[in-house]
Amino acid sequence: MKVQEVELPEEITPDWVSREHSRLMADAESNGKGGELRLDCHRLRKLDALSLAWLAHLQDSLEKSGLKLILFHLSPELKKDLAKLALPDSVETQAEPDPGVAFRLGDSTWKFLIEIRDTLVLLSESLYWSTLAMFRPKTLLREDSIHQMMRLGSSALPIVVLLSTVIGFTLALQSGIQLQKFGATVFLASGMGISMVTEIGPLMTAVILAGRSGSSITAEISTMVVQEEVGALQSMAINPVHFLVLPRFWAMSLTAPLLTVCSAVSGIFAGLVVGFFFFKLSPASYINELQDSVTLNYLGQALVKSLVFSWIIALVAINKGLNVRGGADAVGKATTSCVVTCIFAIILADAVFSFIFYY
Amino acid sequence: MADKTKLIVAGLKAGYSGKVVLEDVSMRVEAGEIRIILGASGCGKSTLLKNIIGLERPLAGSLEILGSRVDWSEGRPANELMRRMGVLFQSGALLSSLSVGQNVSLPLRIHNPGLPHAVVEQLVRIKLEQVKLGHAYAKRPDELSGGMRKRAALARALVTDPELLFCDEPSAGLDPVTSRGLDELLLSLRESLGITMVVVTHELDSIRALCDKMTFLAKGKVIFDGGLDEAQTTGPQAVKDFLDRKSEPVAQTGHTVAFNLEDD
Repeated sequence: MKVQEVELPEEITPDWVSREHSRLMADAESNGKGGELRLDCHRLRKLDALSLAWLAHLQDSLEKSGLKLILFHLSPELKKDLAKLALPDSVETQAEPDPGVAFRLGDSTWKFLIEIRDTLVLLSESLYWSTLAMFRPKTLLREDSIHQMMRLGSSALPIVVLLSTVIGFTLALQSGIQLQKFGATVFLASGMGISMVTEIGPLMTAVILAGRSGSSITAEISTMVVQEEVGALQSMAINPVHFLVLPRFWAMSLTAPLLTVCSAVSGIFAGLVVGFFFFKLSPASYINELQDSVTLNYLGQALVKSLVFSWIIALVAINKGLNVRGGADAVGKATTSCVVTCIFAIILADAVFSFIFYY
Repeated sequence: MADKTKLIVAGLKAGYSGKVVLEDVSMRVEAGEIRIILGASGCGKSTLLKNIIGLERPLAGSLEILGSRVDWSEGRPANELMRRMGVLFQSGALLSSLSVGQNVSLPLRIHNPGLPHAVVEQLVRIKLEQVKLGHAYAKRPDELSGGMRKRAALARALVTDPELLFCDEPSAGLDPVTSRGLDELLLSLRESLGITMVVVTHELDSIRALCDKMTFLAKGKVIFDGGLDEAQTTGPQAVKDFLDRKSEPVAQTGHTVAFNLEDD
């Protein structure tokens, strides 16, 4: 039987344990089963929680390898301490049984349906209060709405214009090259006009607003919920739907269509520039072709789409914000979830619109 | 008698997500009284307050506030009732996007849009003076200290001249001097305005300064209802211990480990 002796330091520190534990275990195990690890404790001055936890762990690990731990030269005081120190009983945390794929699928579908219901309720309340507000004198909500229009809408103008111009440029160049093969570059204007007005304008604007304004609404409202501000509103008999939802709903409903127009115009203008410089298309013929192809019908489609998209963003964002439970991490999750849900719902709604408008 | 009793809670049961936090809680608060709701952390004090002020719907039992029974049939208590009471939240809960003046004037501006702006401003300044915050009218909540924020929130709770004021841990997170100042402020408001107050707290100094009657909660039940003196003399042991700052003894848990010791 092999015996290994090790002298413990005056104090067992985290550093010492990190450094020595694996080495001690490896040395002891190399002695083979039945071996002993003898710890000389004559220098040891105190036993604290770390010492006890480490010694218990060491003894446990050695026993599993068929080895024995022996402490010797332990001072009488430390022996008393050792007898007194207790390790907490390990509480068996019962892992929740996995409810299975079917349950999870059903559960998330149910939650999704509830979310849709809540959003529709919010929509009906918003439309109801908006109609009532038209007949009321100047209220505080109108002032706040102007503030929200600036914050959620107007300040998004530069990024909407910039991105739409870049996309318009790419789209015009790509389609121009294809059209040139058939000598049909004159149709660049109608292609750009119709796609920017009916599709890319509303969609780009909605995606930018979802990422920019939707996330900001969710973060703001969910923080208000977490900090009891929404509770305070309720306690003052102020309806949070009225006070928080309406200004944002109005701001989004008014600014999204305007931004969509700006987006479409910038994309079309980019097409004009590309047509002029790359495909020898005169601005006059580009504009003529545009006027012939982009009818009022298309403009109407764009405005309806952008209005519906803006409602989706505002209501999903507000709903996500109001339903937050928890702390700072819940705010982050709600914000992420808002952007993902908005973009998903917008693309889905866009597909539904395509179906309605073209069949 | 009915108009003298400002709040009646009878057999209230409350909780959330399937968990019952409060069971069979009853109390009566008379006009002009300061009622302290106390108990150790996690005993359900804040849940009780949320149920009384209408932020959560009780699972069972009845509530009568200012002579009218709280009716949840429309999904939430009636606005008229809510307007007659004020609430001071633990964190103050001032809207961070508005200035102190705008925060305090908010209930007035929302409920009375026709009120001339100058009148609202004058009223708000009076209320801010009452809580000794006259200089903070144009400041934003994040520019105020913890104690000032609480006082601003108190001004907001008082701006509609409520008959009943609820305070959730008014002195939580404040230093003893500021906390004492807030207690004195509440007492002087009761003196000058005759407001009935329900104060949730576990700060012993506040309890001694404010308490007319107390409702002591433990594990979701009322274990004592009465005055401070009575609590200290004839109250249950748990109440006496709490008031004497005695903590519950921690049960010795865990196991000792048997080591192989070798003597010299």
